[in-house]
Parts: sequence; structure tokens; C-alpha cells
Amino acid sequence: MAPKNAPGDLPPSVYVLPQTAQLEALYTIIRDKETSRGDFLFYSDRIIRLLVEEGLNHLPVVPKTVQTPTGATYEGVGFEGKICGVSILRAGEAMEAGLREVCRSVRIGKILIQRDEETAQPKLFYSKLPQDIAQRYVLLLDPMLATGGSAIKAVEVLKEHGVPEERIIFVNLIASPEGLKNFCTKYPHTKVITGWIDEGLNEKAYIIPGLGDFGERRYVYRVYVLAHRLTSVGWAYRYCS
Amino acid sequence: MQNIEGVDKKKQAQLLDPSGARPPLSRSITTTLNPSARSEVLLQAKKNTILTSHGRPPWYGEDGKHLSEAFVIGIAGGSASGKTHVARCIVQALGSIPTVVILSQDSFYKRHSPEDLKLAFANRYDFDHPDAIDMPLFASCLADLKAGRQSNIPIYSFKDHQRLDETKYLYGASIIIVEGILALHDPELRSLYDLKIFVQCDSDLMLARRIRRDVHERGRSVEGVLEQYLRYVKPAYDNFVQPTSRYADIIVPGSDNTVAIDLIATHIRRKIDDRSSYLRERLAKIAPRDLTPGDCYDQYFPNLIVLPQTPQVRGIFTILRDRTTPREDFIFFTDRLSTYLSEKAVEFLPFKPRTVTTPVGAAYHGKELSVEHVCGVSILRSGGPLEQGLRRVIQDIRMGSLLIQSEVHTGEPLLLHSMLPVCIRQRNLAQNSYVFLLDAQIGTGAAAFMAIRVLLDHGVPQENIIFVTFIVAACGGVRVLQRAFPRVRIVCGAVDPVLRESWALWDTPPPQEAKESEPGTPGTPTVKTKQEAEAEGRKVWVVEPGMGHIGDRYYL
Repeated sequence: MAPKNAPGDLPPSVYVLPQTAQLEALYTIIRDKETSRGDFLFYSDRIIRLLVEEGLNHLPVVPKTVQTPTGATYEGVGFEGKICGVSILRAGEAMEAGLREVCRSVRIGKILIQRDEETAQPKLFYSKLPQDIAQRYVLLLDPMLATGGSAIKAVEVLKEHGVPEERIIFVNLIASPEGLKNFCTKYPHTKVITGWIDEGLNEKAYIIPGLGDFGERRYVYRVYVLAHRLTSVGWAYRYCS
Repeated sequence: MQNIEGVDKKKQAQLLDPSGARPPLSRSITTTLNPSARSEVLLQAKKNTILTSHGRPPWYGEDGKHLSEAFVIGIAGGSASGKTHVARCIVQALGSIPTVVILSQDSFYKRHSPEDLKLAFANRYDFDHPDAIDMPLFASCLADLKAGRQSNIPIYSFKDHQRLDETKYLYGASIIIVEGILALHDPELRSLYDLKIFVQCDSDLMLARRIRRDVHERGRSVEGVLEQYLRYVKPAYDNFVQPTSRYADIIVPGSDNTVAIDLIATHIRRKIDDRSSYLRERLAKIAPRDLTPGDCYDQYFPNLIVLPQTPQVRGIFTILRDRTTPREDFIFFTDRLSTYLSEKAVEFLPFKPRTVTTPVGAAYHGKELSVEHVCGVSILRSGGPLEQGLRRVIQDIRMGSLLIQSEVHTGEPLLLHSMLPVCIRQRNLAQNSYVFLLDAQIGTGAAAFMAIRVLLDHGVPQENIIFVTFIVAACGGVRVLQRAFPRVRIVCGAVDPVLRESWALWDTPPPQEAKESEPGTPGTPTVKTKQEAEAEGRKVWVVEPGMGHIGDRYYL
């Protein structure tokens, strides 16, 4: 299924990974509802790594000259600016391992946003962010961009903590065209890195074809099958209680 | 007087036991012949095993084609005439000649039917008749080995009187010695030999040796041995073995054959010497050295894929190239870069459409890998740092390795060891396998060249080989690789402009000292270290700016 992501249709702040057959095969695996949890972990991690690698390319670099062991000089670049990750709980947490594989010992903040049952609006329940976050570039992690409600709320929280819009890079695996439109209209200066743009949303605001609930599949999917596995049960308790 | 008696006894022992007894197969050489060679040659002349003394030099030209076929020697002769002994003495007399295999006819006994099996256990099966041997299989295995391909030869169990299901993988012999009573019997086999030897021995001596061997080593009774001898061995010798002596180029006596073996060894050594080549030097000479980048960049071939030079890739390379980077950083960023490279490399695998249902209930028309076998092969040591990345990208990928080192004096690459995954060892699987070949850099390309040749010998098609490497030297061997193997893809992280010959320096100077003594003159080593390096006498090809010795920085 060819995604609707011809460059002309997209806001300029959106970057989509090159749509190779290989990437499509990765998405096919994680979208398949028959895929085991182990495979889901392995293949979603591969996409997350690619997304983070792409996201980091939007950070500034400065020229740097080094001497190589062979005695030659090399005109390279040095990384500039400190970064941190912020995951939107709980699915965003699943992207932390991938982030850590690319950025060693990176600081990671967390934000919990849920829908307020009274107002039907996203509401901030919890946030814990690095103290110096205002001086850092922020990789905002949430695997699925559906309506964009929680992502918009999360950027709002970050801005309250003094992070300028343009220093936020929002990384997600699958985005809906509606969500991208909402988000980019609200924050045109925040870069959005996505792996795949899907067809749209259904009446329950699930991405179609999507891959279901990312956090659910990563942590507790088919917990009844895996009940004997302590780790899965542990996660289930953590999130169901 | 005593002295003479001693000599006679020794001689008698020698006649009766020329260490030509067939089993045990794994016995080391304890011959009384050629005593000068005994101390220096530590080869265990196992049958059906490739013996190497110092690695295998290139067996191909710079066009990538084989220079010559393996040299095949066929040795026939009666049972207990001393064929194995002759074969082992030849191996020993060849000294440091690399990669010899002794192929035994015993491996090629046919798979027996239940009736034959019953006969065999009752000692009523004629193992000495040509029909007992699977000659077509024997010939095809030998033809494969002679042509430089791998072969999986059968294993025959004397205990069960049956061919086993597993096979023995053989590859890379430049000299093949075939021995067996009927080695010269089959015309198809005979056409494959470069040298045919018949070991001539008196019947009474052969019988004496046989009785001694069977009674001592196999616990048989003298009557049993004699019965078998008269019933099968002797008629087979007279009817099938002895007549084949007329095909032999040379007839060797079954005892006191030092001179004959010496003559044969000299002949073989001369043949082999004619075939040796100095590849690395030639590879480097083909490409002009120290060219400016502009001269080379237009010569890229379409199958050289360079990572997009994004800020992150350039930043990672800056860290890796920096001589002051601490080891832990070097390892972390090497793994990160190799993961990224591997992601790029797997894009070249073929895919086919596949439709799945998502948990939301929607159908998704996507793709899946369409390959039968995928494996990785790293060229040790410096290919090792790329393994981690490949493992992160392909779950549970089978990994093999090739140890290729350059010889100190000639700079020629030597294949010291190969450990290949099953999907390459079996020719029918290899033809449908995709192989990621890993090495840290392509400088002269000599190791890459040899590794690709090994894979091609096994039947892996060129277009199924994807070479993954950090750095390619623009003016180095990559162009020779291109010319020889135009369909092999090379995925690399960066292209460096310079390849030059220098003394092996980079292990000697500590970073600070080098910095102080050579400010602003990159590439000029200090006098002291140069002297040291020259004393060591090792010249190497250096990629510049390069990353230094990647294996050392990753592992040491």
C-alpha cells in the first residue's frame, strides 16, 4: 500500500524515512496481528533506531579537525548541544531502549497524558523532566500519532518548562494524515520524524491500517498466553493496577 | 654383531609395518623414513582432512579466475602394500607446501541394502570388488575438489558397515592425494589425475602385513584373515588391482622407497612452484597510488553504495578517526555505525508482496523478505566489529568467519582458516544464499578479493554477495574488485582518498608522543618509530585518513 506522502502534500517540518522495500517489510511484520511479542520487540526496535538516527540528523554540528592514528588529519564534525529524550507514557516508553542504543546514557524524561473523561480533552497527569531541559534539545517519543491530541499537549508542557518549539524533535513510527495536519498547524517549527504515514483514522480514532495499541503489544499483548512469564505478568500488573 | 642384528630387526619391523595400515585414520606420522623431516613437520596426516602448514596463498589471478586446478595424485596398490604410507611420506616430503588432502577410497563404499548388510556382518561381502565402490560419486567429489569447489564427501562406518548420513566438508586443497586399491581402476577417476602412482609390493609381504595388522589391531583370528584373503582379497588383487599398474606413471616399491618418494616430491614441488603468484603487489600496482580524490571519484561503479554523508554519519566518523578517542567510545560508535551500515545493506535483499491483518482488523498489503538463506561471514579480525551491527539487524543470523592474514615478507594474503555456515558449505543451498561479507576496510582489497573468491568457489552467485565495510580506499583495490567481480555489491560508510605503502607504525607510537614530535606533518612518522618499524620489517598498506587499525582499536 503506497502511503500518501508525496513531499508536496506534507508540511515542510515533516520528515519521512526513505520508503524502501526493507522498511515496508519491517512494518509488515509489526502490523501483523499474528506476530509474536519477541519479533514485535526486535523489529520495532529496528525502526525506532532508524527514526532516532534520522532525528539526530536535525541537531546542529560544528566543524572539527582530528588527527587519525595513521597520522593524517581529518576535517570532520563534532556534535553540538546536549540532548534528552522525553517519552509520552506509556507507549513512548517502549522507544527508550532504541534511543539508548543510539545515544548512550541519554537522560530521559516522562510525561503521562490521558483523556479527561469530563472534558474529553487530553490532560496532563504526571511529568518528570530533567532539570536543565530548557538548555537541551528534546527528542519527544510517541510511537503512534493518531489525532495528535496528546503530542500537542506534550509540546505544551515542554514549552512551559522553557524548551523552545524549534528545539523539539517529535519521533513516531506511524502517523495519520489528520494527526500530522493538526500537529504541524499548531507547532510549525517542531520537526516531526515519522516512519510511515497511514491511510487515516477510524471512528474510534485508531490509525488504519495501523498496528493496534503499540504499548499493549510491546508489553502485555496476549498476556493470557504468556501468563507464566513473570516479566509479562509484571508489566501487566504495573499497568493494569 | 649386535649392531647388525639391531639393524636387521629394525628393517624387519619396517618391512612389516610401513605404517601403511589403514585405520586408525588419525594416527600421526611416526615413520622411520625421511628422519630429517620428522622434526620440522608436525602435520597429522589424517585422511579426508585438509592439511595446511602456513595458510593458502592466492589460487586465482587478478581477473578473479582460477589460475590452475588442484594437483591430483592417484595412488593404487594392493591391500597393505603401503599406499597410505607413500601418501603420508609425500605430504611430509613436501614440507611447507600448503593445503593437502588425502582422499581415501574407503569413504566411497556404497550404501548397502539390508541383504548386503547381512553379508557384510557375516564377512561374506566382497569389499575388494570394484562394484563395492560408488565410483560416480567418487569421481564427482574429486572433480569438485580439483576444480577448487567444496565437496561434501560421504563418511563410511566400518563398525556399522554402512555409509553415515552426515558428510565431511572439504574445501581448498591445492594438492589432492587419492589412495585406494582401485584408485586407478575407474577411467573417469583416471582422467582426473595429474600423476598416477602404483605401489608394487610382493604378495607374501602384503599378506604378512595384513595378518599382522588384522590380528593386532582388529583382534581377528589368523584363520579368518586367511580365509578372507583367499576368498576376496587375492582374486580382487589379481583381477582388478594388479592390471591397473599399467596406467601408472610411476611404480613405487612397497618398501625401501625413500628415493622414489623423493623424486615424486621434487616433481610435485616444481609443479606447484610454477603456479604460485604474488597477488597483493600486483593488485596495488594496477591502481596508481596517491591519486587525488578527483581522479578517482568518477570511476565508482554502480555497485559501490556509500552511506549518505549526514551530519550524524560524519560526526560518528570524526569520533572513530580521532586517535585520542577512548576505547569504550570507539566500541560504542563502531557498533552504532555498523548497525546503520547493516540496515543499509539489508535493503539489497529481495522482497515479495505479503498481506497481513492488523490488530485493528484492517488488511495491510506489505512486503516480506524473499530469500531462502541469509548468513554473515566476517573476515577476521577486523571484520569482527561489524558482526554486532548485523546481529542487531537480522535476528539469529548465522555467522561464519574467514581468517585471512597477509604474509609478512611478500604481503600476499593467506587463507589461514575458514569456518563457513552450513548454507554455504552445501553447494545446492549456497546457490540460493545471500551472504553479508564483513571487513572493516578495503585498502588493497586483497583480503576482500580472496573472501569473495571463497564464496564464489562455494557456488554463491556474485549478485548474492553484499560486502559491508566502514571505509573504502578510492584508489585502492576496489577498482580491481570491480573489474573482477562486477556484480558484488559493496556498502561502505566513507570513501577515503589515499592508499599508500608504509612501515607498520600504528601500533608503536603513543598518541601524545607522536603529536609532539610531528606537528603539522601528517603522515611523516618519527625517526625513532620508523627505525623500529623498519627493523621489524613489516610493510603495510595504509588508508588515509582512515581509522587506524580497526581490529586493534576494537579488541586490544
